[in-house]
Amino acid sequence: MEAAVWLIILPLLTAFFIGISKLYFKKILAPLVTGSAIIYLYLLILVINHSYPPKVYNVGAWGLMGINLMVDPFSAMFLLMIAILFLPVIIFSVKYIKSHKHKYFIFTYLMTAGIAGMVLTADLFNLYVFLEVSSLSSCALVALKNTNKGIEGTFKYLIMSTLGSFFILLATILTYSLTGTLNMAEISLEFKDIPFQIKSTLMSFFVFGYVIKIGLIPLHAWIPDTYEDSPIPYNVLSSGLVMKSAVYALIKVLYIIFGIDFLDQSGMLHIGVFWGVITFIVAHLLAYQQSNLSRLLAYSSVAQIAYITIGLFVGTEGGLIAGNFHILNHAIMKGTLFLVTAIFYYSLSAVKIEDIKGLGYKFPILSFIFVVASLAIVGLPPFNGFISKWLIVEAAIESGFVYAGFFILVGTFLSLTYYLKVIVTLYTKTEKELLIVKPTLSLRLPTIFLGSLCILFGIVPSIPLSLINKIPKFLLDNGEYIRILLGG
Amino acid sequence: MELAYVVVIILLSLGMYTIITKKNLIKIVMGFTILESSLILLLILVSYKPGGAAPILDKPYEIVVDPIPQALALTAIVIGASVTAVMLAVVIKIYKRYGTLNVDELRKLRG
Repeated sequence: MEAAVWLIILPLLTAFFIGISKLYFKKILAPLVTGSAIIYLYLLILVINHSYPPKVYNVGAWGLMGINLMVDPFSAMFLLMIAILFLPVIIFSVKYIKSHKHKYFIFTYLMTAGIAGMVLTADLFNLYVFLEVSSLSSCALVALKNTNKGIEGTFKYLIMSTLGSFFILLATILTYSLTGTLNMAEISLEFKDIPFQIKSTLMSFFVFGYVIKIGLIPLHAWIPDTYEDSPIPYNVLSSGLVMKSAVYALIKVLYIIFGIDFLDQSGMLHIGVFWGVITFIVAHLLAYQQSNLSRLLAYSSVAQIAYITIGLFVGTEGGLIAGNFHILNHAIMKGTLFLVTAIFYYSLSAVKIEDIKGLGYKFPILSFIFVVASLAIVGLPPFNGFISKWLIVEAAIESGFVYAGFFILVGTFLSLTYYLKVIVTLYTKTEKELLIVKPTLSLRLPTIFLGSLCILFGIVPSIPLSLINKIPKFLLDNGEYIRILLGG
Repeated sequence: MELAYVVVIILLSLGMYTIITKKNLIKIVMGFTILESSLILLLILVSYKPGGAAPILDKPYEIVVDPIPQALALTAIVIGASVTAVMLAVVIKIYKRYGTLNVDELRKLRG
């Protein structure tokens, strides 16, 4: 049996069975979701292990006429990210989510199916369909807590994400009418003969559509609203996987279909780097003014995505390695921060920054992990964020974007200020007696696991880099992709 | 043939105009539906050939209409319908909480 196909089928099946279990046997929920997540982890590891050399799966034996799935190094890196985040978040949510449990897990599994589909597919329209699957279920998850802020955030999210999807679908249709195919490799072959202006117009549609989903300034306004009052374990998946999958789709469309030469000629690389620099500076300044912990982390997410954009748009081998490494690192670091925040919320419903005053002495281990993750996200050695940020700066300066390198250092200081604010509050002694619900092991264990990965990837970066090192060769030369997909 | 493309452009601009200028949430959702239908019309136009037969290949034929965009149009209709459903569900919840559908008044209520 082909494991890659099951990466999409298993979450869909699980979502279906969770729905049935709500009707007949309610007690089965926890073993069902945990068991399914463990099987999913096994499948992911199986696929990642066999990801090199890249493989094509023909679904339904239609050959090139049908929809193909492809496991290449770039998608293997994203599968690795799902593997790291998904099981801890599910174990965490089993205990953490109290109301609408079944709905939460159904939507989480649907979302994961969408993301896995986006990562694996080699068909442009299929990419759009899976994007809609993941973003619609993600919208539903934001509204799950049924509070005023949550509902408003959902409406904003829906408007923006539908607008983005509209432009993506428009670009997809126009691409089809120009080339007569939806297979990415065939499109990329056909695109060599298409005039420069038409290609630029198409590219701007794609970029605008995906950038709304990624949330670069000034299209970022919906992100903090969706993070503010949604289930916090969902935020881990949202910042780690949903936004990243839009980055994945954008990079895949730009590098594989349009090709690096066209990006260089049309000036897209310069636009991308400049846009990233503007975004992270504004996002850092906005993050400093926040008093709500989730909103602060959301703005920080916007800034980190901007770093990733810079790394990926530098357009050299080093830049792609750095950007991809930062995608992985940001998922881990932000995941840790959100999980610790979730435990604070679970124990004493802390929402504001001042609510966590003095918690550093109540939860010594968790607070230490919070400090580690925030120092990593600021970019201090010896944690993982330092290495990827250093690589981004190096790549930017090497390929002539000196201003980007300079402003990343400025941005590091800006982010240090607001993370220090949180850390200082965390370790301020307070007279107030705190009523605390003790977090159970199933809440602490996933958090500690992700936190220790921050340190591990900082000290031994060669573990993930051995996978990431294969990506640039593959993205910078789209002939490789075409050869594998059409010839294999 | 050209006229149909003009209709697509008119629908597209009408949808955009509705989304940007209207204050009523229901009307914003309607704007998205109009946008969606402009895309579906575009999909059908892409595959349309004057005098083309249906893409069933058991009879003698000369020109066949491209079937893929029609299949895509079906998928796009399904996605559009589900997005509209989710949006309307959220609008109902907003109306139950605030008692208004006007965007400006919603902002005031939040304070």
